Amino acid sequence: MNTEIQTLGQKPVFKSTSWFLSRQTTKKRTWKGLKQIVSSEKSLPWSENVVHYSSINTPPSFLPPEKLSDLSGLSAPYTDPQTRLRFANKEEYTTMIDLPMDITAGYLALRGATSIVG
Amino acid sequence: MEVLQFIDTKTVPDIVHTYSPELKKNAVPIIIDNGSYTCRVGWATSSEPLIQFRNLIAKPRRERLKKDTIEIPQTPQLQVGNDIVNIEAVRFQLKTQFDRNVVTHFEAQEHLLDYAFSHLGINTEDCVPHPILCTEAVLNPNTSRQLMSELLFECYNVAGICYGIDSIFGYHNYHKPMESALIVNLGYQYWYCCHIIPVLNNQTNFENTRRLNTGGFHIVNFLHRLLQLKYPVHATAITVSRAEELLHNVCRVAVDYREELKKWANAEFYENNVKKIQLPFTINTITSAVTLEQQKERKRELARRLIEINARKREERLAEDEEKIGQLLDIKEMIELGADRETIERTLTEFQIKNVLDLEKTIFTLNTKIEKTKQKILAASSNIDEMEEPQAKQSKFSKMAFESDKEMYVFVQNVRKLKQEILTKKMVRKQRKQDMAKRRTAAGQERMRIISQLARKEKGNDDFGMRDEDWDIYKTISKDGGDSDSEAENEKLLEFDEILRTHEPSELGDCSQPGEAHQLHIGVEMFRGPELIFKPYMIGSQEAGLSEVIAYVLSLFNPDDQLKLASNVVVTGGLADLPGLRDRLLTDLISVRPFKSTVNITIINNASLSSWYGARNFAQSAEFMDTLVTKKMYQEMGAEYFKVHKYSNPFNASPTSIAVEGDLCV
Repeated sequence: MNTEIQTLGQKPVFKSTSWFLSRQTTKKRTWKGLKQIVSSEKSLPWSENVVHYSSINTPPSFLPPEKLSDLSGLSAPYTDPQTRLRFANKEEYTTMIDLPMDITAGYLALRGATSIVG
Repeated sequence: MEVLQFIDTKTVPDIVHTYSPELKKNAVPIIIDNGSYTCRVGWATSSEPLIQFRNLIAKPRRERLKKDTIEIPQTPQLQVGNDIVNIEAVRFQLKTQFDRNVVTHFEAQEHLLDYAFSHLGINTEDCVPHPILCTEAVLNPNTSRQLMSELLFECYNVAGICYGIDSIFGYHNYHKPMESALIVNLGYQYWYCCHIIPVLNNQTNFENTRRLNTGGFHIVNFLHRLLQLKYPVHATAITVSRAEELLHNVCRVAVDYREELKKWANAEFYENNVKKIQLPFTINTITSAVTLEQQKERKRELARRLIEINARKREERLAEDEEKIGQLLDIKEMIELGADRETIERTLTEFQIKNVLDLEKTIFTLNTKIEKTKQKILAASSNIDEMEEPQAKQSKFSKMAFESDKEMYVFVQNVRKLKQEILTKKMVRKQRKQDMAKRRTAAGQERMRIISQLARKEKGNDDFGMRDEDWDIYKTISKDGGDSDSEAENEKLLEFDEILRTHEPSELGDCSQPGEAHQLHIGVEMFRGPELIFKPYMIGSQEAGLSEVIAYVLSLFNPDDQLKLASNVVVTGGLADLPGLRDRLLTDLISVRPFKSTVNITIINNASLSSWYGARNFAQSAEFMDTLVTKKMYQEMGAEYFKVHKYSNPFNASPTSIAVEGDLCV
């Protein structure tokens, strides 16, 4: 009870009292995430020519991705078969083999290459 | 080379502005540029937005109830917008009303609007009697808009609402807007994405608009993580806010990324162009030296105290023994003097002695004991001086005296050689270990051969291990190669280092500057970050990059319109002022356009505020009043209703209930 009175006291003067009171009593509301909103929007029977939020996503890239070194960002002709990290030259390789597991995994995660299939 | 510093700007809490009677009387519209990075709020009559704040709230977690306390835990203070002084301290409690670029969390939105309105100084009872012009995402889903209208009308009782798209406002603020343009909005206002919006004959073409779901947020996170991985030691010092600072102050867009990479591969170029940034650090090199000295001092002190304690104990024991022997001698004297038998026996039992013979024996042993203790005390007192001596000698590497420079040189060379030997040994071991781990190396195959040979031996007569040589086989096949880096070797290495340091301080590459270990070197990274919007595959996204999308959007039009659009490409948004961006876009665009066709790219000045200015200009115009949705209309037309104008999204009423019911009937 005590806390409720306290928060009531904090009500900014310009806020509607009825709204404020209703928010105090009703339990916490969960809000739909964007994914949910978009999927429910998609499921509606829109007429043909309507453009939605989800219909303006960019197309996938048609250009082949360049291979860049995970460590230095330089173009990387080599891949280490053990860690799957890409590297540009032998100096990088020597530093790379000393890297602990969590760092190599971090680099892979940054590139989004953690999936086994890819 | 100049070393840069992080500024670590702190937000200043906003003041509450005065709410003048004119504002109230004229019902001046309030302009809210509601971006997912910052929110800008101001009156339509003001020249600049009055308040700008990060669209964030920090909700500290309620303290867990302890079992024995009965009192109600205090609701922790909610921090909103610029109240958050140190954003890194509350990083994990931050909440925003946005999901990507769409407002979804309206509780947070309510807190942020409270913050905005109260800092504008509004003090009218139960209402905000002003029209609101609020920006929203391109093709904002109806659900989001509906909830926003609901919040503004039901909670704040606003006089009217008008929605518009930020980048279109920004474009129209541009001094000479043409009828057709290709607006490239590089998300910072909506910092999760970038938009490419074609405008033909003052009509926004939504059909061919495209949204790239990579934006400033991704660049900042990419930089943040990249530097953390590069400098794992400083992982905590590299914060998200600092990554943001890097993006704004250091990063640039490469005109030709590949060329740039080739340049950076050159060590000399790297040296000359790398940006060094100093992380805050505390000088502890000197203090550590002091503590080393202190440690020695402390050790010495401890040793001295121990010696003292021992000496005292010995003396006590000596005194005790002497007292006892005195008593025993008294008894002996008593016996010799011929005291009566009974008293003698009583005193003897008191001292736990059986008979006179025993008494003699005890006296003898005590005597020798006393003698020994006395000797020990003597030895100890002379020892104290001796103990001091080697202590002084302890710093044994304190530069030995050499007869000539040449001799010293030879000595140092020798030490260096020894050190190198150990290092090589270590390296060979490491190499072996690696070779063993792989299958196809010679070492690995040899190992497999031996193992299989051992396994082939018949059972029954297994005498492996009987001979000493068998152990050698174990050594060759064990993955460590029989021996590992020994403790003794490591100690030796440290010792050599110490010797080298005392004799040739420059040798070991000691940092000349104290903070050098706390510097971040930003080389390729300054291009690598912004490159992300051109190459989203760098973070594993499947999407096309910015230039590719621009080319794609252009390809959706007929050649005439393509020319119109390409000759007026306008870049807005917070990332638009990255150096090099214009040149990059220009080269990329020229490469996809027909030979010698007109291509023109403009970067809007003050790109991050332009949409607020544009919105303000619109609110001052005459047509603004016609685009307002009043509360009456809201109640009549439904919550998702809004009026379409030049700057707004298209209005498509959701075909919800009727259609769904129709489906159900069928």
